Amino acid sequence: MRVINMFAEVDPVKCTGCRTCERVCPTLSIKVQGRKEGKKAAVTLNTCVGCGACSERCQFGAVSLKDLAVPRTIRVDPKAVDGRKISDLCLKAKLHPEQVVCFCTGTRAEEVAASILLGASSPEEISRTVGARTGCKVECIQPILRLLVAAGRDLKPVEGGWQWYGLTPTIWDIPESVVKKYSSRGFYFEEDRALFTKLLEAEGGD
Amino acid sequence: MVAKFNPSVRPLPPKPSRYGPDPERIKTRTVDLDGMVSVGVRDLFPDFAKSIYPSKKGVKAVREATVAALEKIDMSMIRPGDSVNILGSHHGFTILGGDPYAEMLKATRDVIVERTGAKDVRLRAGVGLRFRESDEYIERFGLDKYFDGKARGVAPIDEGIPIETEIGTLYGIKKCYDADWIVHAHNSDVREIHFHRHVDRAVKPFGMSYARLETRSTYHHNLGPRGANFAARAIFNSDFVQKKWTFATFLKPTPAGIAGVDADNDLFALDERLSVDNFRYYGKILTLLSRIDECVAVLDFQAPIPYVFSAGMIFANFSASSVDIFDLDHPLPGYTWYTESFYGKNGKPLIPDVAPVNPAIKAIVVNYAWGGYPSVFWAKMIPTIVVGEWQADVFRRDPQNVEFMKHALVAEDLQTGIEMAKRIAGTDKVIAFDGAPGAMNVSRSLASDLVRMAPDVDGDVDQQLVPKWCRQRGIAVGEDAGVAAE
Repeated sequence: MRVINMFAEVDPVKCTGCRTCERVCPTLSIKVQGRKEGKKAAVTLNTCVGCGACSERCQFGAVSLKDLAVPRTIRVDPKAVDGRKISDLCLKAKLHPEQVVCFCTGTRAEEVAASILLGASSPEEISRTVGARTGCKVECIQPILRLLVAAGRDLKPVEGGWQWYGLTPTIWDIPESVVKKYSSRGFYFEEDRALFTKLLEAEGGD
Repeated sequence: MVAKFNPSVRPLPPKPSRYGPDPERIKTRTVDLDGMVSVGVRDLFPDFAKSIYPSKKGVKAVREATVAALEKIDMSMIRPGDSVNILGSHHGFTILGGDPYAEMLKATRDVIVERTGAKDVRLRAGVGLRFRESDEYIERFGLDKYFDGKARGVAPIDEGIPIETEIGTLYGIKKCYDADWIVHAHNSDVREIHFHRHVDRAVKPFGMSYARLETRSTYHHNLGPRGANFAARAIFNSDFVQKKWTFATFLKPTPAGIAGVDADNDLFALDERLSVDNFRYYGKILTLLSRIDECVAVLDFQAPIPYVFSAGMIFANFSASSVDIFDLDHPLPGYTWYTESFYGKNGKPLIPDVAPVNPAIKAIVVNYAWGGYPSVFWAKMIPTIVVGEWQADVFRRDPQNVEFMKHALVAEDLQTGIEMAKRIAGTDKVIAFDGAPGAMNVSRSLASDLVRMAPDVDGDVDQQLVPKWCRQRGIAVGEDAGVAAE
């Protein structure tokens, strides 16, 4: 769930049409339009969640966040989907359904799973429906990609974008030779695997 | 015992930033309130290393230490026509106002130019989750001019570059690696012990400040609470990075001030040296803090909630310290992102291995803090009072903390906020996380506790804990850590 209380606004005088904002927007809500000197960024307000990625990376100070007159909320209710299917998908991605995947919005794995089961097929669509990836814009990409892969979705990064590049290794992918080599150097991979296994076997708290 | 304490040490004045409130609104600091005193770090632990900064020499002492540390460094791989990226991090600029770190960066640049003849020396300064923070420091310390217009802040959402590692593909920030050579210019401050667990502390920026969001997410979701920092080692060990690697230069803070500068072509050798020092110095501060039985924590510094600090120890570490967070036998301290993610919908941990938030923190008063870090967890877990609508608005308008104020109350002024917090907490013990150099600003009642507990902490850390922490990380150290560290 995400409460949206801001939106991005472009100052066309300062905008150079460099496309940085477009490349970093997690909901694909800002695009450069027009030709040659007339190229300017424009915001699609009904999908902009006011995350600030565009304003933070604009080198020309051309984008700023403004207060929404009436805040709105986006969320997917996990109860709208068969609970067994949510659990199965989360466990396939090696996530507990109640595990928090986005620390900024408090989004849990089950809400992302529900969004996917209702049709979301990319991180951008997930961000538009549940708001994950729109706070810090950094930390929650991997659990989201893991859930998409577990659901059989084909991961396709945004062409020319910098939003995300791909899935990365998990603790279960680390070769045993690496586990053995570094276990005496403070990397407790075996113990942490056991911890995750215990988590996946845990009952829900609700 | 009626002890005499020092007057409280004035913290640095508030700094303007897009991430914090208008400094003009911060009229009263915790040290302005009656009953606050200061406990010097070296009064508590006389064996702490002497500081070269603050000192009469000012930042000149840091420059001299940097030049001296670099004398032993092999720079022969850098040729006159080569390009060099000095990689830095925002965090260094938060230590003692940032001047020492800025001076180390400048001195490092000057030595490279002088020794190698290379002219194309750039600064790439990474960030945490406040993507313009390093740009603010670059401007404040005149670094762009110093680096001939080649100083730049970089962020995890900037263009990336894949890096093949021994565990698979991870991603770095392209601009960090767009030179022939890289220099790792960091600091040895422990900072986020709850995240890196002081395993490969010196390597961490390769998995964080210099890394793309995919890698950072791997760190905090994929590799486990004690394996997280392997993301950094994997990238550092990659052929891609090793082909560009030259040396590391580290500012060496202790809770008492800047102890010096260290440098090495061998990053892991440097890491072992700084680990032993950090266990001795920061280990004592954190162990002492973890023995506080009850308190109100006042957050009062130009940083997000987890990064405000007292005697060099950030609030996040204090809040995690219901268990010894250096001890790797504890998988999930009271605060880490793994810990936070393992709380279920009923507000309770999903598994019993999750340690509680430090129960000694009975209430939080936020007098001055930035946004730019997801902080709702603390407001949910600990009664939280925010001073002033201007500070509340920082959270309300921060995409990472939109719901923070749902879980916090607003007080009109600091005095009222602390009085309210004391009533909620049922204690008069107050500790200010205000970044005061070399000291802890606390209430008289808490000062007495700290002075009384310090000798036992000193012995326990030197004789029992440092050897244990070192053994867990494969660091050779004698049973008497004090001697070994000398």
